[in-house]
Amino acid sequence: MLALLVPAQVFAAETDTQAVPLLRSVQADFIQEKHLRILVRPIISAGTFVFQAPRSLRWEYRTPVPSLLLMHDGGVRKFAEQDGQLVEDKRVRLDAMQVVLAEISNWLDGRFTDNKMFAVTFPGHLTILLTPKDQGFAALISSIELKLADQKGLLDAVTIFEGPGSFTRLTFSNRRLNQDLPAALFTDK
Amino acid sequence: MKRIVPAIMLLCLTACAAGQLMRPPELATAEGVNMAPGCAAIFPQGCWQFVHAIDFTMQDGTGGNVVGVTSLTGDGLACALMTVEGFTLFEAVYSNDAKLVVKRAVPPFDKPAFAEGLLADVRLIFLAPDAAEVRYGWLADRTEVCRYTGGDGRITDLLPTADACWQIKTYTSKLVMDRTIVGRACRKSGNGLIPEHIELRGFGQGEYTLKMTLIQADHLNQESLP
Repeated sequence: MLALLVPAQVFAAETDTQAVPLLRSVQADFIQEKHLRILVRPIISAGTFVFQAPRSLRWEYRTPVPSLLLMHDGGVRKFAEQDGQLVEDKRVRLDAMQVVLAEISNWLDGRFTDNKMFAVTFPGHLTILLTPKDQGFAALISSIELKLADQKGLLDAVTIFEGPGSFTRLTFSNRRLNQDLPAALFTDK
Repeated sequence: MKRIVPAIMLLCLTACAAGQLMRPPELATAEGVNMAPGCAAIFPQGCWQFVHAIDFTMQDGTGGNVVGVTSLTGDGLACALMTVEGFTLFEAVYSNDAKLVVKRAVPPFDKPAFAEGLLADVRLIFLAPDAAEVRYGWLADRTEVCRYTGGDGRITDLLPTADACWQIKTYTSKLVMDRTIVGRACRKSGNGLIPEHIELRGFGQGEYTLKMTLIQADHLNQESLP
């Protein structure tokens, strides 16, 4: 998820002779496949992901479990479906999401390859592999694979590996870069 | 003092009334009547895999939304919980011989009591109870009941026609209500009923509520068993 925003900086690290446009915003639709050894077929989810620099995020699942995460101006709000409507869910602790946002900001500042959390390798021309440095973290997520699109600044897929037979793959489509987005997109459901 | 006494009486009356409601109701038993097929239909027949969206609320007001996977494999079951974003929080398998094996548990789901409680809830929802004695009868309002009494004195009431779907109520060996499960919007599948919505309420010291909405249901054959 965080990695959707990464490619421009990674490309910059890999091919720093080419100019990379400043990333102002990213919008994309996504399909998420959750694979687990016990699952006879993956759980398929669909939604949209919107980021605007420096710190605004809208991460929305439409099916099968409607859910919305908004981050803006340092605030984080989570919405979940109750009786057919999305309502703000104040029961959940969102501390981890603050960490996620900090990571996104770091990467957008170009501080990606010296990431404290992940070792970064490039197993293929359009593939980046992130491996947790901390053993405790590695027990939860063994690696994250980013598949870059041919067009710079865009990402085709992210796969988060948890362990044998267990991974989550997000495939992005309908991607739009650097459009002007209203702030309400990150504050209102 | 005059004000305090009625207040205490009122509290006592309320508590006593609540206590009565929380105990197993009287059952008018039926000689020669077999309600077993209706009660058996509450539980999935054969091997199945269910995926539910689960909204959980704890007594202290905390809670959240997760996705739950339950596989019934005939000789045991497997279950997993994950976030909507796909991060696996908990995974365990239970077999009748090897018992419970937790394969992954992320805090705060890593407490042994959580695994045991989850297993108890999953068994209660999806598997027919063990019983030393089974009685069939009706409540005062003519609701059909199959009453299973375990060797330890625990009671499980199955109400196969309640709310046009089904209900399950359990009581401790001290005959205090322990859990209620309400299935809603049932659809027939073979001899069984699959509810679109399930609500489980746990009572006692750590009260909680699970609201489950079915996402997918797969009948498993030998090739697809995990």
